[in-house]
Amino acid sequence: MRRNLFANSVIATRLAAFLILLAIMAPLMAKAADKQSFNNWEEVVEAARGGTVNWFMWGGADNINEYVSGYIGSELKDRYDITLKRVGINDTAEAVNIVIGEKQAGVDDAGSVDLIWINGGNFRTMKQGDLLFCGYHSLLPNNKLVNWQDPSIAHDFGLPVDECEVPWNRAQFAFAYDSARTENPPKSIAELIDWVKENPGEFTYPASTDFNGSVFIRHVFYHAAGGPEALLGDFDQEKFDAIAPKAWAILNEMEPYLWREGETYPNAIASLAQLFANREVALYFDYDPAIFGINVENGIFPETTRSYGLQDGTIGNTNYVAIPYNSPNKAATMVAANYLLSFDAQYEKAKSDVWGAAPAIDVSKLDDDAAARFAALPRHPAVIAPEVLAQKSLPELHPDWISAIEKGWQENVGN
Amino acid sequence: MLSPALLIVCGLFIGGLALGFVGSLGYMPLIGQETFNLDAYRQILLSERFLLSFLLTFHIAFTSTVIASLLALGAALILRQSFLGRSVINFLFQINLTVPHLVGAVGILYLFSQSGVFARLAYEFSLISKPSEFPAMIFDPLAIGIIMQYVWKEIPFIGLILLANMQTIGRDYEAVAQSLGASRWQSFRHVLLPLLMPGLLTSGMIVFAFTFGAYEIPALLGQNYPAALPVLAYQAFTDVDLNARPEALAMAMIIALLSAVMIYGYARFTRRYIRK
Repeated sequence: MRRNLFANSVIATRLAAFLILLAIMAPLMAKAADKQSFNNWEEVVEAARGGTVNWFMWGGADNINEYVSGYIGSELKDRYDITLKRVGINDTAEAVNIVIGEKQAGVDDAGSVDLIWINGGNFRTMKQGDLLFCGYHSLLPNNKLVNWQDPSIAHDFGLPVDECEVPWNRAQFAFAYDSARTENPPKSIAELIDWVKENPGEFTYPASTDFNGSVFIRHVFYHAAGGPEALLGDFDQEKFDAIAPKAWAILNEMEPYLWREGETYPNAIASLAQLFANREVALYFDYDPAIFGINVENGIFPETTRSYGLQDGTIGNTNYVAIPYNSPNKAATMVAANYLLSFDAQYEKAKSDVWGAAPAIDVSKLDDDAAARFAALPRHPAVIAPEVLAQKSLPELHPDWISAIEKGWQENVGN
Repeated sequence: MLSPALLIVCGLFIGGLALGFVGSLGYMPLIGQETFNLDAYRQILLSERFLLSFLLTFHIAFTSTVIASLLALGAALILRQSFLGRSVINFLFQINLTVPHLVGAVGILYLFSQSGVFARLAYEFSLISKPSEFPAMIFDPLAIGIIMQYVWKEIPFIGLILLANMQTIGRDYEAVAQSLGASRWQSFRHVLLPLLMPGLLTSGMIVFAFTFGAYEIPALLGQNYPAALPVLAYQAFTDVDLNARPEALAMAMIIALLSAVMIYGYARFTRRYIRK
């Protein structure tokens, strides 16, 4: 017994010494790995073997979670021996906050976030705080499938991407309605204003704190401004002050005819989906039209759900994945990001029973066979074809514009 | 033996509070702000949004505490009698202690929303012809749904504390009072209630502090404006603009301070009341 105890304490001491050594060495080793720059893709793949990728992403849709954890996870394991850990979050800013916290605490090479599904304002925040790993696009073989000439890909909400993130999906706003219940849904913001007055209580939109509520408000803003052209570029207080009162007037004029007489607005797009599913409101909208088909398949939305874009166009964007500057698994994460861009991954994602998301790669850059497979994908009847929607596409605004519009809505309409 | 607990409290709680306080003063080297100022506090305290949120949060916490305390007192008085099936009722009374708040909130949503179970029943019986005719109890200005959820969840909590109290107090004092000619009401009002008061007020204080600082229920069942204080703070904390962080942290500091002040005031009031 005694001996045993003694032996144990020796082991414990050695273990402690080893751990201390490890604690001292770990940052040095991590630094060394970080400094090591990769000359070519083979080196990256080699360094990635056995690695782990902690991917923080919005976790509110089961089908997307399944695609990432299931399909992408097992492909990365089989092809590259990489373990993918999906971390579901409610708001992308939560992941950004983690990286900010780590930077402030001096954790510069052992961060807990390797990959973030991101765009717009959160990308701006990370660029503003110098929190991103940049300049690796030339390493990724699948980067050649991306059309960087397209300004809506090379710019994320008006901000140059600068090789700091990798495109993943394209999305374009669309409206949905139940064709068995509503015969002629409004096809423009002007029509919507009249329609709301004729159908009191049948329409509402989420508050500006919600991503989708905010983009709906921007459509009204574009309408008030006579098109997005005047709003592009950096934020301009004078222009804002000239247009904003018109937009607030339109929204305030609509307010008494909204659901609950506009006394309150849903907090989240999920609440609007619920209102639409329960027939409390007649119209639904989403930045990702694929959700209409998924909700029909899940039995939440009626079978007769159909969707459409607006005559003047709807706002479209690209969403991306980005690697924080302090990710300790950059090689594995780059391999993951590259795989997300591959034909296989983008094709799987485009299937309407998987996700139905529009590809971020340029299908015309694929070989004929692959392009034909994309074209032959069956589409859910509830989901408007992305090509049709894309014929009238409006650009996103600079994040400063968006912040100003969201704040202005809260002060002038939503109170 | 205390040191692990102390370490966690000091390290995580006080440490977090201190970091939050520094952040609320606008110190954010990340975006090049290295000076301290009170701008965030000034901005918040002068805004109508914050004031309305405070009033709403106070209303939610106060109303649910009072209703839950009264109902729990009544329930405890009944459950202390012996009657047929008491153990079954007692079990049913406690069962929701194990149900998480969030699950309760979803239940309230399914039952009381304008397209919930009760609205559908009302429609079946032709009391209403469309969802919007059902009274709004979720996402409503009076926060009825939120208060219902808290009352439902907190009655057994307060009730159990009261029942335990009653067990220790026993029936002797009341029996003495009644033998000296006190009516049942008088023996309750002047003998049992004062003896129960410390337990009732302490459990009420716990409920109040919890409901004042809780985020998830008002986030799920509350209207968007004014939002409860914790919801408002979280919205600012997840704002994409880094410049909004100091305001979010300042709000969290104010919530912590307000809770502390109210609990302190409450504790002082209680102590005076009990001494009487």
